Amino acid sequence: MENQPYNQAIVRSFVNWSIVWGLVAVLVGVIVSLQMVEPDLNFPPYFTFGRLRPVHTNAGIYGWGVGMIFATFLYMVQRLCKVPLWSDKLAKFQLWFFNATIIASAVTLLLGYTTSKEYHEMEWPIDVMVVILWVVFSINIIMTILKRKDEQMYISLWYMLAAIIAVAILYIVNAAAVPVSLFKSYSAYAGTNDANVQWWFGHNAVAMVLTAPFLAMFYYFLPKSTGVPIYSHRMSIIAFWSLIFMYLWTGAHHLLWTPVPDWIQTLAMGFSIMLIAPSWGSVFNGYLSMNGQWHQMRENYLVKFLILGITFYGLQTLQGPMQAIRSFSAFIHYTDWVPAHIHMGTMGWVSMIAFASIYYLVPRIYGRELYSIPLANLHFWLILVGQLIWSISLWIAGVLQAGMWNAMNPDGSLTYTFMETMVEMYPYWWARSFGGMIYMTGLIVFIYNLWMTAKKGGSIAAQTTVETTTVEGRA
Amino acid sequence: MDLASIVYLGVTFGMFVIFALIVIRTYSRKRKDEGEIAKYQMLDDD
Repeated sequence: MENQPYNQAIVRSFVNWSIVWGLVAVLVGVIVSLQMVEPDLNFPPYFTFGRLRPVHTNAGIYGWGVGMIFATFLYMVQRLCKVPLWSDKLAKFQLWFFNATIIASAVTLLLGYTTSKEYHEMEWPIDVMVVILWVVFSINIIMTILKRKDEQMYISLWYMLAAIIAVAILYIVNAAAVPVSLFKSYSAYAGTNDANVQWWFGHNAVAMVLTAPFLAMFYYFLPKSTGVPIYSHRMSIIAFWSLIFMYLWTGAHHLLWTPVPDWIQTLAMGFSIMLIAPSWGSVFNGYLSMNGQWHQMRENYLVKFLILGITFYGLQTLQGPMQAIRSFSAFIHYTDWVPAHIHMGTMGWVSMIAFASIYYLVPRIYGRELYSIPLANLHFWLILVGQLIWSISLWIAGVLQAGMWNAMNPDGSLTYTFMETMVEMYPYWWARSFGGMIYMTGLIVFIYNLWMTAKKGGSIAAQTTVETTTVEGRA
Repeated sequence: MDLASIVYLGVTFGMFVIFALIVIRTYSRKRKDEGEIAKYQMLDDD
C-alpha cells in the first residue's frame, strides 16, 4: 500500500459502485436489444423499451461513466498534486448522494417521468440533485488542486478542470425549465432554440463526460502502466486547448437538415471536421509514447486495454466528423449506423480505459495482487469481440436501411415500405443482442476476477512489489 | 446575417486568436523544458 495519507477508501467505494451501475447499464442494454427483436418482452407500463432505454443510457453515462470519473479523479488528484484530498467528509457525502441520485433517476424514469430530452431525461428535482452532487465534487477537486505541491499541472489535471467546469455549465443551461408540478416541467426554451440548446448539451456531454475525463485517465494510467512518460506534454497541452475551443461549437451537427439556421449547421460541420486534429493529437501522443515499448502490448494486459481504447477513440473521432458532413448525414442519420457509432465510443473507448483504470487501481485500493491475469486477458478479448460484433452488424444494418429508405422507382415513388425495411433489420438486431451478451459475459468475468481479488488475492506487502510485478500487470 | 450571428462569429474569431497565443507560448523555445517537466514529475513514486 502507499505511504501517503491518501484517501483510498473513497476510491474503492466509487469503483465498486460504478461497476454495479455498469452491470445494470449493460444488462438493461441487452434486455432492450432483445425487446426490439421480441416485442413480447415488453411488459407495460414499467418495463417497456421506451422506459428502459433511458435507464440503460443514464445508468451507462451517469452511473458507470460518472462513477468512474469520481473514482479516478479522486485518486489522480491526490497523486498529481501530492497532497491528500481537501475534504474526506465531502467525498463521503458525494458517494452516497451519487447513489441516491442514480437510484432516484432509475425509479422516476421507470415510472414514466421524463423531460424527453435525450441524455437529460430526468425531471427537475433530480436535476437539482445532480447540480448539488457536481458542486460538491467540483469544490473538493478544485480545492485539492489549489493546494498542490508542484506548480506545473500535468495534462490530466487540465482535462479534469475542463470537465468539471464545462459539465456544470452545460447541465445547468440545458436544465433551465419551468416546473409545473413535482415531476413535470417545461423547457425554458422553445422551438429550434430548444433543439439547439439540447444538442449543444447532448454532444458536449459526449465531450465533457465521455471524452475529456477519459483522456485524463489515459494520460495518467498509460505512463503509470508502462513506466515511461508520454511522448510530448506540450503536444498534449495544444491538443487539449484545441479540443476545448472546438468541441463546444459542434452540437448543431445533430440538427443538419432541420429548421436550425443554415449557418449554424455549417459552423458545426466545420468545427466537427477540425476536431479530428486535437483528437488525433492525443492518439498520436499515445502511440508515440509507446516507442520502444510495443512489446508491452504482449506482456502487459493494462497496455492492451489502454492502446485499444485510444485506437477506438481515434476511429470514433474520424467516423464522427464524417457523419457531421451534410451529404453523409442525409444518408445515415436516423439509421442504425448511429447507435453503432456511439457504442464503439462507449463499449470501446470509454469502457476500455475505465477497465484499465480499475485494473491499475485494484492492487492499490485492495492491497492485493490481481487474482488472475489470464481472466483479465479473457475479459479483454470478450469485450473486444462483443463490441466489434455489436458495431459492425449495425453499421451494415445502417447502410442497408439508408439504401432502402432512399431507393426510388422510376415514377418517383418509394421502392420499399417502412415495414419492409424493418423486416430486413432483424438478423442484424439479433447479431447486436449476441454481441451485447458476449460483452456482458466479459463484464461478468471482470467482476468475478475483482471479487476473487478482494477475497483471495495474494497480499501485497510492500509498494515496491506492487510497482514491479502486479500493478504493471506483467502477464 | 443579423447582429447575433455577427457576435457569434466574432466570439469564434476571438477564441481562435487566444488559441494562437496559447500555441505560441507553449512552443516558445524559452519554455521548452518547463513545458515538459510535468510528464516526469507525474512518474514520481506516489
